Amino acid sequence: MHFLATLVAIGLVLAGCGPADGPAVSGPPLKTYRHFMDQAPTTLDPVQGSNIYANFVILNAYDTLYSYKYLARPYELKPNLAADFPTISPDGLEYTIRLKKGVHFINDPCFPGGRGREVVAEDFIYSIKRQFDPKSQPQGAWLWQGRIAGLEEWKAAGSDYDKPVSGLRAIDSHTLEIRLIRPYPQLVATLAQGYAALVPREAVEKYGKGLGVRPVGSGPFKLISYDTAHIVMERNREFRQEPVDLAFEGYAPATQSFSGVEAIQGRSPPFVDRLEFNFINEKSAAWTSFTKGDEIQLTELPPEQVDRVLASKQPVVLRPEYASKYHTLAGLEAGFIFETFNMDFPEFGYNPDPERQRRNKALRCAVIKGFDWEARNNSWYFGLGKYYPGIIVPASPEFDSEMSRISVTRDVEGARRLLSDNGWTPENLPRILYATVGGSSERLRFEQFRAWMRDIGFPREKIVPKTYAAFGDISRAWKRSELPFVTMAWGLDYPDAENTLQLFYGPNKSPGSNNANWKNAEFDRLYDQTAVMLPSPERTAIYRRMNQLVIDDCVAITGLSRTRIYLWHKNVIAYPDREILGGFWLRYVDVMPAKDAGAASRVAEGN
Amino acid sequence: MEILQYSLRKLLAGLPLIVGVTLVSFALMVYFGPDQTYLLLGKNPTPEQILEVRQQLGYDQPFLQRYLGFLREIVTLDFGDASTGEPVTTLLAKTIPVSLILILPGFILGHVVGLLLALAAAYWRGRWLDKLIMAVAVTGMSVSFLIVIIGFQIVFSSSDGLDLFPVRGWNASSLGSYLTYVTVPTLATMFVALGYETRFYRSIIVEEMSRDHVRTARAFGLPESRIFFRNILKNCLIPIITRIMFSIPQVAIGGALLIESYFGIPGIGKATYEAIITGDQPVLKAVVSLTAILFVLVVVITDILYRAVDPRVTLK
Repeated sequence: MHFLATLVAIGLVLAGCGPADGPAVSGPPLKTYRHFMDQAPTTLDPVQGSNIYANFVILNAYDTLYSYKYLARPYELKPNLAADFPTISPDGLEYTIRLKKGVHFINDPCFPGGRGREVVAEDFIYSIKRQFDPKSQPQGAWLWQGRIAGLEEWKAAGSDYDKPVSGLRAIDSHTLEIRLIRPYPQLVATLAQGYAALVPREAVEKYGKGLGVRPVGSGPFKLISYDTAHIVMERNREFRQEPVDLAFEGYAPATQSFSGVEAIQGRSPPFVDRLEFNFINEKSAAWTSFTKGDEIQLTELPPEQVDRVLASKQPVVLRPEYASKYHTLAGLEAGFIFETFNMDFPEFGYNPDPERQRRNKALRCAVIKGFDWEARNNSWYFGLGKYYPGIIVPASPEFDSEMSRISVTRDVEGARRLLSDNGWTPENLPRILYATVGGSSERLRFEQFRAWMRDIGFPREKIVPKTYAAFGDISRAWKRSELPFVTMAWGLDYPDAENTLQLFYGPNKSPGSNNANWKNAEFDRLYDQTAVMLPSPERTAIYRRMNQLVIDDCVAITGLSRTRIYLWHKNVIAYPDREILGGFWLRYVDVMPAKDAGAASRVAEGN
Repeated sequence: MEILQYSLRKLLAGLPLIVGVTLVSFALMVYFGPDQTYLLLGKNPTPEQILEVRQQLGYDQPFLQRYLGFLREIVTLDFGDASTGEPVTTLLAKTIPVSLILILPGFILGHVVGLLLALAAAYWRGRWLDKLIMAVAVTGMSVSFLIVIIGFQIVFSSSDGLDLFPVRGWNASSLGSYLTYVTVPTLATMFVALGYETRFYRSIIVEEMSRDHVRTARAFGLPESRIFFRNILKNCLIPIITRIMFSIPQVAIGGALLIESYFGIPGIGKATYEAIITGDQPVLKAVVSLTAILFVLVVVITDILYRAVDPRVTLK
């Protein structure tokens, strides 16, 4: 036993050397919000802030020039570190942006004397330059390449940070000028991305790749600890005072008052002392932790709990025993799932033989007719997802709810007829290789797809599964155009249909984002035309025309936006979301002492 | 002196093993492991950007050059940075102690209690106690570890159960908080481990009990307790030491992926799993090489322990 005690003592000493994540020993209790995420970010460096998980943290540790309004739906941009929206030259090529004064980076040893210095326009220029420096392994260059003047040349000349970029200029310490090669209506939205967060050069030079685990920003929170299970941040006490104006943030009392957000009116965020991110891959563990009461305070409703927790799915209503403890919100994702044919494969797509190419189109259209979106929605997404024709998702302002739904309505007889009319028989139908990342759910989705294809005449052995061990592997296969059939999900980077239409833009073919490798001259021409247009009814009409072209050519089986059902404890004042960027709203979260939560809830229900 | 010479000889002899293990592992990583290139690219990469990332990752270098670099990293114990940007040595220094103190109680108690149960089962072989212990052991072995974890979380930690312990989290800054967080993982580990350990130990004890020298000792009228501890248990120590020692590298480096994932514990098991999924080669290389080194050390220590418990064993 002595040996055991010694071992445990040594272990405790070793493991206890880091900062303790437990509550403070003395002083008033810390106000803590414990957030749940189903995956951990791989890095916290904005230069690689490519996914929602990284952005949840990055947008709370760093500042971006623009952000999204907390409550406005559809999403609306607002100035964040920028003092106002940019002044744009008449030709749409020059953006002048003023930065707020008196904003400081957090105190950190990378600064002289450890005192965080003021954020200036040069910090933005430096941060964008990093996206064009191969040494920093950037992931956000696609947002600005071919858009901001001089960046490619700067990169080609060796990415020397002391050399200027012609399209990025600090007019003075707090005024920035961005010069574009051609008009870029989505520019302001890209400046809200984690990629565009302002990073101090001193921190990059001191920590190098270590910045990925040690953010040095000017955001509302600063990092305390980071490991594979959770991240702990604490309030940046020097964060600028910006009282909340709920009307400005898009508050809609009729649909949002239940959340209690009125309590933050006029107060300056952040409101909690500690912000914890808990990374839980396992749904059962997340649910047990959430329902325990004193652990994670928000979760997404796992599918296996739907029948137990919900009294009604449409609309989403909790059973009374859950409604007394939790708030709920059902929100459609700002993205979609879809499947495309890879047109590089002559058995489905482009074929040197015009007759075969014509028959291939009939084949693709038949597969689309055989696909059962309703069943997929019911099987996997509680029947709460929204499926619709085309690739413009409901979260885009250009979404057209009046479109014909033929392309998402199952028609087995029509599919069979189409195949036979075009000379397709079970013998000459091509093999469909259905590739997924390994997992039981993915396998079941494949089996469901195979059953649908058998209904329209495909022999069982011609629908073949292919499993990849990791997402990186299947992604490589897509980018190398190795798979004839691509199953994908896409989350909007900004609420503009351009973000999904570019998935079918010819020049974006593999290894770009056009995994379908579809080339349509009219679509590409319209895309180029709209790429420089500001939002307008005319642009919306062209977007919709492009959408119709994708549908007409039967290039994709599309699409469905999933509904996420959030549950959170009643003592948490929040209006949760994980779309577009994720995490931009966490500065507005407040936590009431449990005894106040019941009263607030009753008040909210009475409204 | 004899032990020192033997240890040095064995360590030198272990070098080919380390080279072999690292070579095979590295070949698997390079040719069959996840390709991190496409995780590090943005949404709309150009061929040039793909090339840049491959260069940054060293994927464009010949295999031999990359492997020699790996060997150099092992010698210098500098494995570079994980994909998070954190130095791998820092990551290991953070996560290995956590895994150790997470798993050690379950590991030690599993073996100790397993041995005690096995002794009881063997002593009363064929009686109701033996059958009961074996039935429980088989149950522990039959139930999936995943089910055990989820079940124990619900029973001990959830609001629907006893609600005595946290579902998730880790805080080892004091003995009290450590015990709070380690208890349920330990119970889950023990529940499953006991089945395997008890059955294994029972089988070797029963085998030892049927040997001639035990029968002779009984014929001489030696007390049963003395026979049990001096003639049976002592002779069982070789397989017991072997089993325990060869579990240590797994405990020290492998961690316990399921336990760490479900209980939200930032140990090496979870870090390794994430590295496998994302193809984080610096972390994988460190884990593979450290495991191989630890195995060589374990072989040496095990042989020395054999000698300690059985003087007939010579160190050659």
